[in-house]
Amino acid sequence: MNSARQPKTLWALSKGETCAVSGYDDALPEPYRVRLMEFGFHQGEAVTCLLTPGFGAPRVYRVSNTVFSLDSEIAQYVLVAPAEDPNL
Amino acid sequence: MNRVLLIGSPNSGKSSLFNRLTGLNQRVANFPGITVDVASGPISGLPDVELVDFPGTYSLQPISGEEAVAVEFFQRALTDPDVRHVLCVVDATRLEKSLYFTLQVIRECQQRGKAVTVLGNMADVLQSNDLTLDHAGLSEAIGAPVLMISARQGIGIDQLLTHLRQRLITQEPVSSRWSETPDALLRGTAHQLAQEFGPRGDVLVRSQLRLDSFFLNTGLGGIAFFCIMFLLFQSIFTWSAPVMDAVEGVVMATGAALVPLIENQLIADFVADALFGGIGAFLVFVPQIFVLTLIIGILEDSGYLARAALICHRPLKAFGLTGKSFIPMLSGVACAIPAIYAARAVDSPWQRVMTYLAIPLMPCSARLPVYALLIAVFIPNETALFGLVGWQGLALFSIYFFGMFAALVITGIVSRFSKGVRSELPFVLELPPYRLPSVRPILRMAINRSKHFVTKAGKVILAVTVAVWILGYFPNGGADLGSSWLGTLGRWIQPLFEPIGLDWRYGVAILSSFLAREVFVGTLGTIFGIEGAEENMLPLVEQIQASGLPLGSGIALLVFFAIALQCVSTVAILSKEGSLSLALRMLVTYLVAAYLLALLTFSVVEAVL
Repeated sequence: MNSARQPKTLWALSKGETCAVSGYDDALPEPYRVRLMEFGFHQGEAVTCLLTPGFGAPRVYRVSNTVFSLDSEIAQYVLVAPAEDPNL
Repeated sequence: MNRVLLIGSPNSGKSSLFNRLTGLNQRVANFPGITVDVASGPISGLPDVELVDFPGTYSLQPISGEEAVAVEFFQRALTDPDVRHVLCVVDATRLEKSLYFTLQVIRECQQRGKAVTVLGNMADVLQSNDLTLDHAGLSEAIGAPVLMISARQGIGIDQLLTHLRQRLITQEPVSSRWSETPDALLRGTAHQLAQEFGPRGDVLVRSQLRLDSFFLNTGLGGIAFFCIMFLLFQSIFTWSAPVMDAVEGVVMATGAALVPLIENQLIADFVADALFGGIGAFLVFVPQIFVLTLIIGILEDSGYLARAALICHRPLKAFGLTGKSFIPMLSGVACAIPAIYAARAVDSPWQRVMTYLAIPLMPCSARLPVYALLIAVFIPNETALFGLVGWQGLALFSIYFFGMFAALVITGIVSRFSKGVRSELPFVLELPPYRLPSVRPILRMAINRSKHFVTKAGKVILAVTVAVWILGYFPNGGADLGSSWLGTLGRWIQPLFEPIGLDWRYGVAILSSFLAREVFVGTLGTIFGIEGAEENMLPLVEQIQASGLPLGSGIALLVFFAIALQCVSTVAILSKEGSLSLALRMLVTYLVAAYLLALLTFSVVEAVL
C-alpha cells in the first residue's frame, strides 16, 4: 500500500473549490510552465475551479481576474494546496 | 514614413483600437509562410504616420512556431529606423494577464532605443463597474506613459493622438531601466505591480460566471450550442444562397449582354464560357466567405467562440483535432472554401493542418447533385417501415455520414502516426468576458477575407477553368465534347476507370468535375445529349440506367466523390492558406485513396451481388 500522500492537482479540484498553486509537476515541459506563470498561475496564487463541464471537457478556472479553461493534459501537472497552507 | 507599432495580447482590444485609429485606410499582408495577418494603415489625424498592427501574442517567449515567427517579426521591426514608437495595449480590467508581456515589450524596446506608451484599454468597462486602475502610479512604476482609453467607445483617443504627435516630434531619450532585467524578475514584478495598481473587485468575473454557468452547462449549454451552430449553418447554407444566386446572375447577365457584341465565334465562346464561367466560378463563393467570416467574428468578439471550442474539445481531441476545429468542419458541410478560411481560428499550426485534412472530406453542398444523380440511378424510390424510412434518403444519409467518418478516421490516423513530429499546444484557453461585438472590425475582417479570396484563389481558379475550357473546346470548336482533347484524354485514362466498370464518358465527367464537383452532372448530360441536366435530372437518370452501368460502379462513384479532392477552388485556397506542398499532397493522396476505395467497393459489390 502506498502511504505517501500524492499532491493534489488543479484537475482534482471540484466546482467552487479554491486552492493555491503550490508548484508544477516536473514532467510539465518548461515552456508550458512559463506560459502558465505568465497567465498568473504563480506559486501561492489563489485558483478557483469555477465550472466542471461534463463528458471530460476542459475545466474552467479563475486566477486573479481572468478565467481560463484547462484540459486534463495540463491541469494535472499544476499542483495545488489549501489556500491557507503556511508552506506556500 | 514614420511607423508606430501596435502590439498587445489576445482579447486586449488591439484590433478595435487599430480600426479606430486607421479607419478604412488599411492593407493586410501575411507573414511569409504562415497565415498571420499584419495590417497597416495611416493614422487618421496623423496621416504621415503608419500604424502597424501585430498579431496578438501572450508573451515574447514563444511556445509555438507561429508565435516564434510573430515575435521574430516584431523584433525585426524594432530594428527598422522608421519605427519611432510602440503602443502596447493592455486589458485594463485584467492587468495581471497583460503586464508581464508589457514589461517584456518595454525591455525589448529599451534595448533598441524605441519609446513605448502603454494603453489601458476598456476604460469604459472599468467606469461602468466603478473600478479604477491607478495609471499614474503604474506609469511611474514602469517608467513609461500609461494612457487610459476605450477603443470601442473612442474614450481617450484624442489624448492618445496628441500624446503621439508630441512624442514623435520631441523624440525624448529612452530610458534603459528594464533593458537588462531577466524574465523571471519581470514576471515577479508584473505580478506585484498588478496587485498594487490593478482594479480590485471581482464584479466582472462574477457576471461572466453567470453566463458561463448557462453556456457551459452540460444540458442547457448543449442546447444553446446546437441552436447557435444551427444558425451558423443556416447563414452559410441558406442565407447566403440568394446573394450567391444574385452574384451568379449578374455575372451571367453581364456575359450574356457582352457576348453578342463579339463577332468572332471563338472569342465569343471563350468570353462566355471560360472567362465569365471562370469569374462566376469564384465570385459565387464570396458571399459565403463574407457571411461566415462575419458570423465567426461576431461569435469570437462576443466571447462565445472560446466557449464553443471548450465544448467540442474533448470529442475532437481523440482525432488529433481541437475544439476550435469544429466550426471550420461544420462550415465544410456547406462549402470547403469559407471553411478553410475559418480554420484560421485554430491557433496550433499542427491542429490547423489536421483541420485542413478534415475539411475537404466533409460532405459539401457541391457533392449533393452528384449524390442525388447516382442515388436516383441505383436506389429505388421506395420506403420501408410503413413509409417512415426512404431508401434514397437513407443512402444519402449514409454517404454524408461516410464523409464525416472518413474525415475523423484520417485525422486520427495521421495524428497517431506523427506523434514524433507534431508540436501541439496544450489546451489553455482564455475565456474572455462576454460583450457586445464591435461591428467595424468584424466587417473589416470579412471584407479583407473576401478580397484575399478574390485576389489570391481567384487567379488560380480562373486559370484552371480556362485550361479545362481549351481542352473541351478544341479541336472541333466545342461541337462535340467526346471528340475534344478532353474526350481524347478521357479515352486515354479509360484503362484506369475500366476496373471500376466505367467507360470514357465517366472519365471525362470526372476530369471536368475538378472545376467543381457538380459539373459532373452537367458534363454527363452533355455527353448523353441531354440539355439542362443540372435542373432536371430525370432524363439523364433514365439514360444512365438504360446504358447498363453496374450497381458496383455507381456505389464506387459515390465513394470516389466522398473522398477525392475534386475541387480546384479548394486546392487553390489550401495552397494559399496552408502551402502549395500541402495542397498538392492532399490532392494526390485523396485522389489515390478515393480511387483505391472505389476499386475495392466495386470489387466487393460485384462479388456479393
